[in-house]
Amino acid sequence: MSWKDTAEPLLTRMPSVARPDRHVPFKRKLGWTAGVLVLFFFLRNINLYGLGTGGSNAFGRFSSILATQQGSILQLGIGPIVTASIVLQLLGGADLLGLDTQNNPRDQILYQGLQKLLVLVMIVLTGFPMVFAADFLPAEPVFGLGVAGTKWLMFAQIFVGGVLILYMDEVISKWGVGSGIGLFIIAGVSQSLVGGLIAIPQISGNWGFIPYWIGAVAGIVDAPSVLTGQGITQLMFHTSGQNYIGLIAILTTLSIFVIVVYAESVRVEIPLSHARVKGARGRFPVKLIYASVLPMILVRALQMNIQFLGRILKQQLGTLPAWLGQYSGSQPTGGLFYYMAPIQSPGEWAWFLGGVSQPAWKILTRVGVDLTFMIIGGAIFAIFWVETTDMGPEATAQQIQDSGMQIPGFRQSPGVLEKVLGRYIPQVTVIGGALVGLLAVMANMLGTIGGVTGTGLLLTVSITYKLYEEIAEEQLMEMHPMMRQMFG
Amino acid sequence: MSSNDGGGLMSSAGLVRYFDAEDRNAITIDPKTIVAFGALFGVLVLVLNIVA
Repeated sequence: MSWKDTAEPLLTRMPSVARPDRHVPFKRKLGWTAGVLVLFFFLRNINLYGLGTGGSNAFGRFSSILATQQGSILQLGIGPIVTASIVLQLLGGADLLGLDTQNNPRDQILYQGLQKLLVLVMIVLTGFPMVFAADFLPAEPVFGLGVAGTKWLMFAQIFVGGVLILYMDEVISKWGVGSGIGLFIIAGVSQSLVGGLIAIPQISGNWGFIPYWIGAVAGIVDAPSVLTGQGITQLMFHTSGQNYIGLIAILTTLSIFVIVVYAESVRVEIPLSHARVKGARGRFPVKLIYASVLPMILVRALQMNIQFLGRILKQQLGTLPAWLGQYSGSQPTGGLFYYMAPIQSPGEWAWFLGGVSQPAWKILTRVGVDLTFMIIGGAIFAIFWVETTDMGPEATAQQIQDSGMQIPGFRQSPGVLEKVLGRYIPQVTVIGGALVGLLAVMANMLGTIGGVTGTGLLLTVSITYKLYEEIAEEQLMEMHPMMRQMFG
Repeated sequence: MSSNDGGGLMSSAGLVRYFDAEDRNAITIDPKTIVAFGALFGVLVLVLNIVA
């Protein structure tokens, strides 16, 4: 008896959101999407009941890509979903699951149930240590419950928040436009991005890019002359709190936008023609960012979980052995956890800014580890992603075959299609994954507006682009109902 | 044209995948219930924070 039969009674009974029984009009779809988004922002701004003061941010700079908000009901954000996805990718990529999600409806149901169960497990696994094992969320006794009781109460709220995120994503996936997770990532990153552009210290405590430079030109803000060395450094790399408001930051941010939009259009196109309908032609694009940028968030989440583990170990053991981790406050300054920490800002490596206290070899090692992790990790997760989401040569060949298309000049058989696709898809996947990893590290090293991190920007731009394509397609079908039959 | 064939490519959009297949035993929830529950839960915690 395989694991499937054992787990089936549980996995098939995981509650799910009802599917719409007929076509949902585009306006209604937008309505659901906007409604869930409003709910998301609402919950993000509500603090946990029983939360004391003085907690330290559990996610640090990862919080914008994971859509978390320290101390709120959405403390976990999409963290558990991403972590569960890592586990599924690894299991699926190594083909340990034995689920055929392309053809077998029963396997599809099992897969859906399994991913939901894993997310629930991850909510507990990340929420529990966050409340009980570290100082991220200090409790302030309420209702005469005592500290322990209040912690349980906070854990319950975090748990409900985590489950809500999961189901809000499902509502958007089934009733709205795009995917909820993509939307939550865009929402989190955009908020920081806009804040980084227009913030003024009277409101947020930090300067944003636009007010600062207007102030500097107008003489309201005291900035050194750009004719001095210090002035040039400030012009290029100035920071205000977590905001990078130098020229380099805006250039990096704009470049990422341009590069991603350009890379979206870089593709190998495989010509197709219909086997029976003469003149019906099409092209199958193998895009440079074929596996999309989403696998990147998995690599980042892996790094984040390692850092999270380090801080919990430190909290529990008091001091760690020097080779494992030395901390000053919540920042690692030496040992394994230091080298594993991704570079998040120019201030962590740029010796010429003067804020670096580590010797050069340590910084170089850390940059090297980060680059290796992101490039190789990016490529590996891209491969797994393609496999588990049925975008690989074999699955794609079958989809094209099922649609009745073939490559002109070749026999009409899935085997032939697979061979031709196999010449492009694996190579493009690896190159795309590695390239995106490199871009993310470079962007982080140079700093981005609002401190949104390179990964955050890459994700936001490419998800927004996908969303735009999807909305365009929706509208096309809305205007020409016949198209729906063609696209299915 | 063919980039939209079937649901295969659409799945690249999300971390969580949903299929059309559904089990008869499965418990289904109305999306309105989820949004309403989320909003009420938020209001509850908000009120508790204000009162206490």
